[in-house]
Amino acid sequence: MNAVLLDNVCKSFGRLHAVDNLSVKVPAGSVYGFLGPNGAGKTTTIRMMMNIIRPDSGRIEILGDGKIEQVKARIGYMPEERGLYRKMTARKVLAYFGAIKGVSDRELIERIPRWLQRVELADWADKKVEELSRGMHQKLQFAVTVINEPELVILDEPFSGLDPLNQDLLKNIILEMRNEGKTIIFSTHVMHEAEKLCDYILLINKGKLILDDTLENIRSRQSAHTVSVELEGDATFVDRLPMVTAVKSEGNRLDVTLADVDTQEFLQALMQQARVKAFEVKVPSLHEIFVNLVGVSDAENS
Amino acid sequence: MQRILKVAKREYIETAKTKTFIIGILMTPIIIGGIIFFTKAVSGGKAGPRPPIKVAVTDLSKTLVEDIKTSFDGYNKRNPNRQFLLQTLDVQQDANSTEEQGKAKLRKGEFDVYVVLEEDIIEGPGKIRFYTYKPKPANVDALWTIENFFRKAVENRRYEIEKIDQKLLARLRNVPLERLEIGAAGEKEKVQSQGQRIAGMMVPFFFMYLIFMGMVATGQHMLSSIIEEKNSRIIEVLLSAVSPFQLMAGKILGLAGIGLTVMALWCGAAFAAARWQGLNVGVGPELLVYFVIYYILGYILVSAILTGIGSVCNTIKETQSLMMPVMLIFIIPLMGWFKLVQSPNGILARVLSFVPPVTPMVMILRLSAGSGVWFVEIAVSILVLAASVLIVIWAAAKIFRTGILMYGKKPGIFEILRWLRQS
Repeated sequence: MNAVLLDNVCKSFGRLHAVDNLSVKVPAGSVYGFLGPNGAGKTTTIRMMMNIIRPDSGRIEILGDGKIEQVKARIGYMPEERGLYRKMTARKVLAYFGAIKGVSDRELIERIPRWLQRVELADWADKKVEELSRGMHQKLQFAVTVINEPELVILDEPFSGLDPLNQDLLKNIILEMRNEGKTIIFSTHVMHEAEKLCDYILLINKGKLILDDTLENIRSRQSAHTVSVELEGDATFVDRLPMVTAVKSEGNRLDVTLADVDTQEFLQALMQQARVKAFEVKVPSLHEIFVNLVGVSDAENS
Repeated sequence: MQRILKVAKREYIETAKTKTFIIGILMTPIIIGGIIFFTKAVSGGKAGPRPPIKVAVTDLSKTLVEDIKTSFDGYNKRNPNRQFLLQTLDVQQDANSTEEQGKAKLRKGEFDVYVVLEEDIIEGPGKIRFYTYKPKPANVDALWTIENFFRKAVENRRYEIEKIDQKLLARLRNVPLERLEIGAAGEKEKVQSQGQRIAGMMVPFFFMYLIFMGMVATGQHMLSSIIEEKNSRIIEVLLSAVSPFQLMAGKILGLAGIGLTVMALWCGAAFAAARWQGLNVGVGPELLVYFVIYYILGYILVSAILTGIGSVCNTIKETQSLMMPVMLIFIIPLMGWFKLVQSPNGILARVLSFVPPVTPMVMILRLSAGSGVWFVEIAVSILVLAASVLIVIWAAAKIFRTGILMYGKKPGIFEILRWLRQS
């Protein structure tokens, strides 16, 4: 089952195509990263999923339902623009948002202390929101998001404004929720966060889909082409090997770009002509993939 | 519906807790009551001694000074705290120069009032000239009394000349009148005082004002609540749980509760005050029913307009320019209330009854003014109001939906119109 299904969704603001013919399937139980530079259309896409803005065309189904208002109680959404009532206490804020998300009073009695505990705010339960620090504010915001223990959690830039300790806390909670079989979608432009958490990556730029695949596939597809080698003796022959398309020399090391070929074959070819001191299949970081792909798509557009 | 109620409940509780609400709305009847009590206490008590008033008179008719002196003496005996001191300014050479002299002395402050009685004041067309120089507001009541003494003196002299018996005149003039208001048969007849007549006139205004205050004061709470949620970026968090329409409906409902609370308190206070003062305010139960209908419809209309306004603005200050035209419409019945009470079925009243934002105010004024308003008119005005409520809610919901997520520049009227055209 798909937790989220977008089918040819478009949204324009005036002349700007914020989201251009986007189709995405988010399988239930996965952690899905929405990546893209600022202004790529991540927030617009998420807002359309929450029915906060309506698409110009296309179809959206959330948790198998086309009427999003019907399933809002089963979703936890943390918007990028977020805040809480400053004059209410942490406990009351949780109680209110729990109530409007349809959690019964009886359940709230048990859940509120549990979640305050989980985000390490138990000692601050009866303090007003305006008395909390920025980091605490963010953690309370997260507790508000998940107080209804949703099946689908959508987080727009969840890590912004958190120190490393709190980032880890949040990551652990996200991983726990994944283990419980929940679907998590989050948008970020911090690539190493996505790399650690995501099963799937969706990359958009200027409203257009660039990449949508499992992190594993993306890596293997991208990585097969670059190998870093260190050889004993003369290495000039490498250039002449048939599978090699480019060689970049960095001291003793050679960064070799291969045509679409198995790296093992290349290793064999090397071994026949020289001693191989080091051989490393380069796994590009998501950051590199991102910069690379966004760069390519920008170049195509201009 | 569950969610609308939850939103409404929070709105009600959080608004009722704010200082502006408690001071502005709950304290009002207490303050008004306090003022009434205070003025009563002050006017009932005896005032301390006040400075004497010096009056100079030039009597060209040469016959009245003694009479005036007698009436002044009488007054001084009755009012030991305030004395009127009379002196005469006799003609030296000619009347004009004496009058000029008198005026100069008045300017110098030698006396407070200078009076010239013309020669033919009694039998001819002569005048009393009553000069004052920069009169103090504190002396206004005394000046009145003094004026009357002079007039009375002339009047009495005229009666004497015409040989009119004053006792006879007083007897002829005395026509006893008792104002009685009868209740249902069997009830006691009540004697109506002058105050009650005025109260009768004020009741329609009171009801209209109540509607006005209820609509506008709670509307202000609506504006500040939306602006707060917008500024602290709560809106989108709320929209993760409720739809924009549910949010809007919840807010309107919650503040309607606030409004009704205020109405109940104010009406209760006014009723208690009327009872305390022994005034009988003739308000029938059917008026209360209409009051609730008109108030609720009018309130929803105004708050829907204000949610629309609030959602496109970022600060209270920005809302003010958009509030202006709305407020101006409400000013019309407030300014024209006297005319409306006098002719509750006149053209002005009839036309304003069908201008939706002021319909509740004008109709309540007309109904409580007590001259049978045609039932069809009531029904049609309610229908027009209800229809406009639906249209305004439809428009406000669209503006609200887009406006609450816009930060920064306030959208222009054309952009807002474009939102209305969108699905």
